[in-house]
Amino acid sequence: MTSEPPLPDDSAAPSERTGEVVDLPSATRATDIALDELELVYAFIYARVGNRADAEDLTQQVALKAFPRLREGSPPSAIRGYLFATARSVLGAFWSTRLGLSTAELHEDLALAVPRGPDSDEPVERAGRILAGLSDNYRRVLELRFLHGYSLKEVAAEMRSTVGAVKVMQLRALRAAAKVDVDA
Amino acid sequence: MPEQPENRVERIVNDLLRGRRLKLRAGDAEEKEAITAAARLAAAHGGPQRMSPAFRRRLAQTLESAPRDSWITRRAALVAGLGVAAGALAGGVVGTIEPSPPQLSGSGPINPRKGVWTDVGALADFDEGRGKLVHAGAVSAFVFRRGEAVSAVSAICSHLPCELWWDGEQSLLACPCHPVWFTPEGKPKSKYPMPSLNEVKARTTADERVEVLGT
Repeated sequence: MTSEPPLPDDSAAPSERTGEVVDLPSATRATDIALDELELVYAFIYARVGNRADAEDLTQQVALKAFPRLREGSPPSAIRGYLFATARSVLGAFWSTRLGLSTAELHEDLALAVPRGPDSDEPVERAGRILAGLSDNYRRVLELRFLHGYSLKEVAAEMRSTVGAVKVMQLRALRAAAKVDVDA
Repeated sequence: MPEQPENRVERIVNDLLRGRRLKLRAGDAEEKEAITAAARLAAAHGGPQRMSPAFRRRLAQTLESAPRDSWITRRAALVAGLGVAAGALAGGVVGTIEPSPPQLSGSGPINPRKGVWTDVGALADFDEGRGKLVHAGAVSAFVFRRGEAVSAVSAICSHLPCELWWDGEQSLLACPCHPVWFTPEGKPKSKYPMPSLNEVKARTTADERVEVLGT
């Protein structure tokens, strides 16, 4: 648990060194390069909001915020750092608005902490690591629901339980899953 | 009758597994850990995610129509609500684009056109020496209490359009997007030359309420 959000390092905020704008390698390829980088941003955001519509809106926000500050000349790593710094800010505002919490409250919450760069693995692998940190019953209910797409009723039948009990177990399993820090 | 936590979370899980947007209601924040865990697991439900060709085309059009080598001014960002609202953006470039970089200079008070004094809470809810984030329409601000008086500064960084957070350990406002801090008076504390934060007009009322001039 940390009370301070991870601040991007200098490479993530190149605008300080280059006079307020981040440079792009080639003007003619600017859009293609930005789109390739935004593909990573989209995957990063999708992995945290879990649905396409919100991921698209937030990726577009990142593009609109960051792109006017990009210009010819600087390495792709600087562009990526800038885009991910912007993505973190946009995600913070998203959760803040949806949950009605201040960003300060969000920053104090490990479950909402956002890493500085792209994820090194796919959502399925990340989910596997989350589930591996849970007890058998909790892992089973979340596997059936999220990986196999079972309804509550189907999970109850599979686990020889009731829908009500499975619903409560799902809540407890998700609370436990939130404590597994896959970004560590 | 209040919604039971397990029903609250099941509603959200059900939406996520059907590919719907996250629609949260008042009180859902109580289960924020479970909700964010559900969102992460739901991402795995659909397998590896890439932008759809249609969205990529739409994004390309947006980028190509966006001016480059230019600045969104801080004022434009505030007007556009960038860094504050995470609501849906319909598309297109919002705000006014300035052709040249802004000058570093002191920042005056925010005087919204048709400004409205907005109640942001009781004076007793504001702790001495601790910044509290408030929203007055499109204006977001950190309010500071000193005795019976209050002052406020914009909650948007004077450099990048990011919402600041209150760093209680340092008693400073910190920007999440780069290593820059501001005092409660809005003065920058960084190794780079930076403009101050805009002042936001705040006052207390006779019945000990705090009001901020917003929109």
